[in-house]
Parts: sequence; C-alpha cells; structure tokens
Amino acid sequence: MNRFIRDVKQYSKYTQHSAKAILKSEVANSYLNWLWWILDPVCFMIIYYFIFGIVFGAKEKYFLAFIFIGLTIWDFFNKTVMQSVKIVKNNKSIVSKVYLPKYILIFVKMLVNGFKMAISFAIVVILMIIYRVPLTVNILHVVPLMLVLFVLTFGISTFLLHFGVYVEDLSNVVTIVLRLMFYITGIFYNIMTKLEAPYNLVITRGNPMAFLLTSLRQAMLYGEAPDMIILLIWLAFGLLLSVCGIRLIYKNENSYVKVI
Amino acid sequence: MEKYAIEVKDLCISYKNLKAYSIKKSLLRFKKTKVDEFEAVKNVSFAVEKGKILGIIGKNGSGKSTMMKALAGIFSPNSGTIDLKGNTISLLSIGVGFEKEMTGRANILLSGMLLGFSEEFIRSKMDEIIKFAGLGHFIDMPVKTYSSGMYSKLAFSITATLETDIVLIDEVLSVGDQRFKKKSYDKMKSLISNHDRTVVIVSHSLSTLSELCDEVMWMEDGEIKMIGDPDEVLEKYVEFMK
Repeated sequence: MNRFIRDVKQYSKYTQHSAKAILKSEVANSYLNWLWWILDPVCFMIIYYFIFGIVFGAKEKYFLAFIFIGLTIWDFFNKTVMQSVKIVKNNKSIVSKVYLPKYILIFVKMLVNGFKMAISFAIVVILMIIYRVPLTVNILHVVPLMLVLFVLTFGISTFLLHFGVYVEDLSNVVTIVLRLMFYITGIFYNIMTKLEAPYNLVITRGNPMAFLLTSLRQAMLYGEAPDMIILLIWLAFGLLLSVCGIRLIYKNENSYVKVI
Repeated sequence: MEKYAIEVKDLCISYKNLKAYSIKKSLLRFKKTKVDEFEAVKNVSFAVEKGKILGIIGKNGSGKSTMMKALAGIFSPNSGTIDLKGNTISLLSIGVGFEKEMTGRANILLSGMLLGFSEEFIRSKMDEIIKFAGLGHFIDMPVKTYSSGMYSKLAFSITATLETDIVLIDEVLSVGDQRFKKKSYDKMKSLISNHDRTVVIVSHSLSTLSELCDEVMWMEDGEIKMIGDPDEVLEKYVEFMK
C-alpha cells in the first residue's frame, strides 16, 4: 500500500499532463473544437428526451435534468470501464519502453472522462436553474456519492485492465455486460416507479450504478438523502476491489509486455 | 563506493504460458493446445563496473533486447536477480509515449515525465534538447507532421539529454541523417566519457563497439558465449559469423 501512495505521488504530474495532452489533441483538429464537449452530451440528451419524454411519455419531474444526470454518470463509468479493457495494448508504445505502474493509465483515463463529466455537470446545474429546482441541504450528498463512483469505477477497471491483457476477446463480453447494465440502471426511466415492488428495490440496491444514479437524482433534484448504509457497503466493496486490483497489477504488470 | 553498478545473477527469461487467451478459442477447442516455451535468456550472469561501458553483440534473436528490457525493469525475470545498486536507469529508446497531435515541445515534457524526471528539471533542459534535436520551427508543430527521421531525432535527443546513472542503448546509434548521426555519436561519446556513468550498448556495428567499449559480451541463443576484451571477442565473433 505504501508503494501505491509513493507511485501515485511520483506519477501524479505525469497523469495530469498526459490527460491534458489527450484532451487537447482530441479537439486540436475539429472545427468546433471544445464545443464538442458540450454539444455531444446535449445532442444525446435531446435524442433521449424525444424518444422517452415525447414518444413514450415519461412523466418525471424535471425530466431533462433527470436524464442528463443519468447520462453524465453513466458515460463516465461506461467509457472508463470500456477503455480499461484494452488500455495496456493501446499504450504499447509506453508500456514496452519504460516502467510505469499500469493503473496510472486508468487514472489518466479517469481524469479525461472526469473532465468531460464536469462539463456535463455544469449543464445539469444550468438546467436546474432554468427549472428553478428548490435546493436543500441534501445536495451535499453529491460529494460522497461521487467519491463512491470514482472508487468503484477504479476498482472494476483495475481488474479489467489485468484480464484484458490475457483474454483477447474480453472486450466483447464487457460490451454485452455493460449494455445490460445500461438498461437496468434506469438512465431514462425511473426504476422505482416503472418496476414491480420487489424487483425495483433489488435493482436499485444490487446494481451500484442504479443506486448511485437514483441517489444522485434524489439529492440534486428532489431533496432527499441517500441510503447511507448501502452507500457505505458499496464504498467498502469499491475499496476492496481497488486494493485487490492494485495488488494484482503490481504482481503481474511486468509480464504484460510479454503478451501484447 | 560500490565497485559494480549492475550485477546480474543466473538470469532466465522465458515466454512460456503467456500467449493471450481468448474465450472463443477455448470454447471451440477442447483439446489443450501445446504451450510453446521459448527461453530468450538462459542463466546469464555478469557484472558491470561503475563507469564502464559494456557492449553486447550477437545475431538477431539471441536475447539481447530481452535482456535490456529486463535491466530497464520492463520485463520481470523468471528466475535470477538483477541488482542495480540503487542507480537510476533508462533505456534509450525511440518515441516514448508521444502524443501525435501535440507539439514536439509538449511531447518532450510528457516523455521526460514518463522517464521519471520532474517538471522543473525537464523545463531547465528543454532548450538543450530542442537545440540538440535541431528541428527548427517544427518543434512547435504537432508530432504527426514529422518525418520518421525527425521523429527519431527528437526521441533520441530527449533520452540522451535527460541523463541517468545507467544508460542502456539498444541499436539507436544510427538515427537520422549523416549530420545527426555524427552529432549523436559524439553525444554518445561525451555521455560515455563521464566516468560516473555506466553504459550498456547493444549494437551490430563492430567499429562502434571496439571504439567505445571497455568490455564486450557475445550472446548466442540466450547464453553468454564469450565475455572479455573487445578486440578478442569481436575477432572470434567475426570468425564465427563467416
């Protein structure tokens, strides 16, 4: 564990610079440049709003903000997890030339995706102002909820990073699992009202993304506090995953180069 | 002061069991596939004194590069130990973590940080690197616009200017055009003339090795065939390769 802290400190500057470089190079050659970071989520929101708000007639309060929170969080999780499966292979030029703790690559991705998430969140705030959503103290719960999101995403990513090196077609499996999760996370519908009694509780508690999403919406839009016990359980689970994942990577990372 | 900078004992590196596995393959094939085992380095032991230059020669596939990577800490050995006595080490290599859309200047910073240097140190060395690379106004252009020669020149300049206690050089002496070749060769010499620096060079160029090295190691199929005085070893090597 000490090694982990030391390595994170040593490579923190690199992580920041690398994330910055990726973000800059992403927009370097497009006409609308950084506007895409805003346009991208806004366009998807409009699509989902049209399909679920108008075609299927969803009746959630503050529906636009409701979908947007869902999309923002899901995008961060989905992108980071998906990218970490092939992360070692995609960074072959680095990995085969110098030593670096491989989970640093996950941190870089999390920073990049986190930055995009922050932009989406700014849009959520604007929507909340437009809707005149009444603010309560419960909005402070956003902080621990985001923390759990980061820990869980990192934990899952470390394992995928490791197995992604050895299992060639893991990304196909992960795509399917993520798609399933996408639909049972309730990004554009409310699990609590759309599903029958026992199932909705099972999903909102047993699927961490559904739990985080529902709690975030409750905290930000409807002024309710999240279920702290379940939040703590997921935090503990995320930490456990992260610790095991870091150990696994430390133990095996020098063999990765031989495989890719 | 320690006498040796690098001590390698009974180093073995093999590539067995490490073929990537796929779920599809294992579903379709019930029989166990034979695991190919390939030993790249077998029971190699040697030591390099501090400030000395070791040359490594051998035909392609004799395990030279694998050993260099193990020394640099990128590969883990299957058995045996590598003791660097706490020295910093870098593998002089081409294009570490270049971000193609970014300018050369930004990439210097990024690569330097990957090699473990602090931001301040790299910034202080920045002008030296840029001057050495001699890319002119291209240094502020995205790396993707570079020709392959310019790319390697920049990469070489970064690793050659940001110096570590031990430098590993893997056949990169022939980078760039005639003028840059000369420049990088001189740079190598000045790097090497510093008596605190330990250098390991892999090369196929007999003249480079005989001129620069204090000792030459000849590797054959992952084993040390001969180690000792450059002229003696190179003579035997030339004879063997005929």
